[in-house]
Amino acid sequence: MWRYIGRKLGIYGITFVVAVTINWMIPRFMPGDPVRSMLSRASVSDPEALERMTAYYNEVFGLDTPLHQQYFAFWAGLFRGDLGVSVWLYPEPVVDIILRHVPFTLGLLLPAIILSWIIGNRLGAFAARSKVLDNTVLPIGYILTATPYMWLALLLAWALGVVGGFFPTAGGYSFALTPSWTWGFFTNLVSHWFLPFLSMFVVALGGWAIGMRNMIIYELEADYSNYLQALGAPRRLIRRYAFRNAMLPQITGLAVQLGTIIAGALLTEVVFNYPGLGTLILNSLNNNDFFLLQGIFLFVVVGVLIANFIIDIVYVLVDPRTRVRMTGGAS
Amino acid sequence: MRSLRLPAVLTAVVLVATACTGESGAGGSGGYPRNETLYTTGTAWGPPTNWNPIMEGNYAVGTVGLVYEPLFLFDPEENDYTPWLAESDEWPDENTHVITLREGIEWTDGEPLVAEDVVTTLELGHFDIHYSNIWDFVESAEATGEREVTVTFSEPRPQEWMNWVANRAIVPEHLWADKDQAQVNDDPNADPVGTGPYVYENHADDRMVWRRNDDWWGTEALGLEMSATYIVDIVNASNEVTMNMLGNHEVDMSNNFLPGIDQVIERDETITSYYEEPPYMRSANTAWLIPNHEHEALGDPEFRRALAHAIDIDQIISGPYTNLVEAADPTGLLQPWDDYIDHELVAEEGFSYDADEAVRILEDAGYVDEDGDGYVETPDGEPLSLELAVPSGWTDWMEAANIIAGNAEEVGIDVTPAFPEQDLLIENFRRAEFDLMINNDRGLSNTPWTYYDFIFQLPIRDEQITANYARYENEEAWELTERLAATPTDDIEGAAEITSQIQEIFLADLPVIPLWYNGLWSQSSNRVWTNWPSEDPDTPDSYATMWNNLYQLGAIYTLAEIEPVE
Amino acid sequence: MTDVPGTPGTADPGTTGAGGERRTSETLYYARRNPKLLIGASIVLLLLGIGLIGPLFIDHGPNQYIGPQSTPPSGEYWLGTTSFGQDVWAQFVHGLRSTFLTGTLGGGIAFLIGTTVGFVAGYKGGIVDEILNMLTNVVLVLPGMVVLIVAVAYLDVRGLVVQALFIGLTSWPWAARAVRSQTLSLASRDYVDLARLSGRRTWRIITSELAPNMSSYLVMSFILLFGGAVLIAAGLDFIGLGPAGGVSLGLMLESAVAWSALQLGLWWWFIPPGAGITLLVGSMYILNVGLDEVFNPKLREL
Repeated sequence: MWRYIGRKLGIYGITFVVAVTINWMIPRFMPGDPVRSMLSRASVSDPEALERMTAYYNEVFGLDTPLHQQYFAFWAGLFRGDLGVSVWLYPEPVVDIILRHVPFTLGLLLPAIILSWIIGNRLGAFAARSKVLDNTVLPIGYILTATPYMWLALLLAWALGVVGGFFPTAGGYSFALTPSWTWGFFTNLVSHWFLPFLSMFVVALGGWAIGMRNMIIYELEADYSNYLQALGAPRRLIRRYAFRNAMLPQITGLAVQLGTIIAGALLTEVVFNYPGLGTLILNSLNNNDFFLLQGIFLFVVVGVLIANFIIDIVYVLVDPRTRVRMTGGAS
Repeated sequence: MRSLRLPAVLTAVVLVATACTGESGAGGSGGYPRNETLYTTGTAWGPPTNWNPIMEGNYAVGTVGLVYEPLFLFDPEENDYTPWLAESDEWPDENTHVITLREGIEWTDGEPLVAEDVVTTLELGHFDIHYSNIWDFVESAEATGEREVTVTFSEPRPQEWMNWVANRAIVPEHLWADKDQAQVNDDPNADPVGTGPYVYENHADDRMVWRRNDDWWGTEALGLEMSATYIVDIVNASNEVTMNMLGNHEVDMSNNFLPGIDQVIERDETITSYYEEPPYMRSANTAWLIPNHEHEALGDPEFRRALAHAIDIDQIISGPYTNLVEAADPTGLLQPWDDYIDHELVAEEGFSYDADEAVRILEDAGYVDEDGDGYVETPDGEPLSLELAVPSGWTDWMEAANIIAGNAEEVGIDVTPAFPEQDLLIENFRRAEFDLMINNDRGLSNTPWTYYDFIFQLPIRDEQITANYARYENEEAWELTERLAATPTDDIEGAAEITSQIQEIFLADLPVIPLWYNGLWSQSSNRVWTNWPSEDPDTPDSYATMWNNLYQLGAIYTLAEIEPVE
Repeated sequence: MTDVPGTPGTADPGTTGAGGERRTSETLYYARRNPKLLIGASIVLLLLGIGLIGPLFIDHGPNQYIGPQSTPPSGEYWLGTTSFGQDVWAQFVHGLRSTFLTGTLGGGIAFLIGTTVGFVAGYKGGIVDEILNMLTNVVLVLPGMVVLIVAVAYLDVRGLVVQALFIGLTSWPWAARAVRSQTLSLASRDYVDLARLSGRRTWRIITSELAPNMSSYLVMSFILLFGGAVLIAAGLDFIGLGPAGGVSLGLMLESAVAWSALQLGLWWWFIPPGAGITLLVGSMYILNVGLDEVFNPKLREL
């Protein structure tokens, strides 16, 4: 088991190095000069002044040293928790900006992922091999999982926000409030959170329900189920075994799906102008703020790695067979 | 169904939360009272990060205007300067300007406003900042009394000088005198100390909150009382989010271009704009089609004239703009500058949409389609294909670029629209790496000199940062522009004589092609605040906008003139 | 990118090597009687037909201003017009066409990479497997959309093909994993051993022995990759990273939102692109379940 986890950690380590390297390359090898684009916004008319400022910012961003030196300096900075300074929100440090947005994204992602997974699996299990449910859950599930995140989000915002007026359609909390530990602020936060959460939850729900339904059917048709049935075991017992076995692929499925769900969160945040990392990534992109973009990218990768690791551990805990199949982490 | 209990509980929590929050959106404790708060949007494209009035284009909405104030305002309707921090001014001779400050103005930290403050502000220009170039013609600035500043010029350029006076915010000497270059350019100035009607209250990534300064000098001196206790300026979201907020009356004034807002104004009585019918909006600046004169064909005045005749501007106005804008005058000057337009000349030499004429001009100048591909070649027989660049995401301009490309195709000019990121485009056009682009960098100001400076400025540098992106070289036109800068600001006739000569060159050469007047986008909700500026004589005429540099053109009055709905 | 729903889980690949003919007719027999397969396939084919043939009947470009502005659906303009007077139907059929193209190209590239990596890793085993497996895991963990946003944003050329290429390059890992595990179980079969003993080249063995025996599995993987690619492309188009000057369902959605179609009551502009994507991808998935049931006798409802 320890070897299994060690192996996983090794892969995550390599992934992290790859991600950091890609990350470092973004501002340096992409077209467009970050410093120049920043100066274009501060309308400096004197060309000499412009030159001096360019040199100044190149120094601030460390763009004037040889490439390999920049690369190591980048790693060194990383371990100090220093991801540089944002160009768009100059002179704020990238880390501060990201930390401000992370809670919103997590607050959206975690409940959406966990609740949709639990409820989706239950629904799928109910639906499997039950004619009526199967014929309703299945098509609805497929339609939901095939819906583009942003389209559903826009429809929900329109129906429940604008026409219905039940929920606010934009922002993280009311423009009339300042964050505080009060009930009023909390309820406001929740009301702004609900629609983005709902649209992510609904799309993800369909996927899990279908996945579970299919798994259960496979399990129910597996040899051990037939054998149990032949032995006259009660149907409930067989289903319970099937459910437990079907859980395992669903847990690995969660790891595989993380990327898609994060993509969905990005799009959903954009639709609702929700102040999380998704909106931030789009803003940094539109403003050529490579440093911020790098930072977000890194945060997302680290987040995904941590989530993967947690899922691995859960998997090991749930499935004692992993202990035996020590090297089977990849299938 | 045990598993479904959790979501049920959750739904209940959310419903309760929404019920508590209610319509107002403010959850009781700690919120800004809705009827004392003005919500605005449409100016800020990013979170407020600094309150440094010197960092032009970067500072939080309202930093200049609400907190830091200029010496004079300019009234474009009357074409006159209104004393603001200044009480009066005087020109003893053409090389000397004496400005006297009002008595009794205090900075929000309790210090009085003194002449040294103005001197310090001017002297910041010795650093590399955006107004450093005034020292090209200012010789010295001295405090000749506690509230009297004397500025002497090495070369009189009153139009250019007054542009500074009526735009630039004064900063306090006691806080700014010791700053060095880095501080002036970088310091976020998180605790802004100004003289203006509002003070910093709060900010977050998506908003800037200002609180009224109840000790503001203007209440007593000008009889102006700011209506809203709080101003919350919301950072721009997408069109559709803004539209939703306006529809729900969550914002009181939006200064965004919102496609289809005309339908909303027609449909919803509580949402108004300046005009009740097309174009609904006033004009703020001119959108120009800027050709790169270093390009062989675009450097040819005849080719540019043909292009100007080929563009069917009405199609753009009725299409993407749904009549929210007006076609530009052939001179490109905005309506408030009507006195400077030589209408006789325009009637004779001006251009208008005429595809046949465009084809005729092309033929006469030798641009014909020899190889039969549907597009003309240069007189040398070289194939000719042009790229028209507008910033990616500027939906109205992107659509306009598509139309212009289509118009050009009809007369046989091959134009392809291109949508680079805005920063990339800026980078490229500064270095003359473009064929055609649309630009509106200069807007309404106290003098048409700002426009002609934009069009004709010489010399051409390797990078054209703020003016003459077309790289048009005409010594005569630039000399006339400099003479315009030197014309006394009250000598409108003298100025008009010069502008008439400039327009003769402009219309003959068309260094840049005026397209339409971009609107001063402003749509207001009358649910909480009313008495918004409109063409109705009973309402104010000031600009209803939070855009930077428009406070100095009188937008500040609007904030005092709006009234809470009972 | 990785749409697990309906992933053929433990379908027993290639139960028989011989007797294929009888199996084919049996498969066809069940295929004709599987409602999921039939419904899914007919919707997909219908949409494909519209995308292929529809544009031929429209003599104006999808982005041209041809009609009155903002008119609701009518006999003349089947899906109404946009607020500039573009024909929504024309945009829709052209959009469908390029959506199919993106799906086929993006899904295809991912399929090629994924199956190649999966086959080679599964068949070769040892150090090759280790390395490929590592690569797969690294790409799998990198959040694809974020990588895509970064990559697509800074490409000078923003074409449909480039977009599809990038989608393909980031969405293959789960397919590689799935194919690898299938290959692992097949690689130890007798007939594969036989082929190996007879000295055939690895590539030949993969294409002639392994692939045909899991063809159903491969088809289903491709369908899922196709659906994933369509959804990702729509997402990219929506946030403004789509092909410049092109037409696709995602771009239609983007412009409908940018011009406040929903707020101005132009539902006929907003609904078709989203509904089109949902319908296409959804019926692809349903088709997939149908296929699964047809190929996998155990799943057939008795």
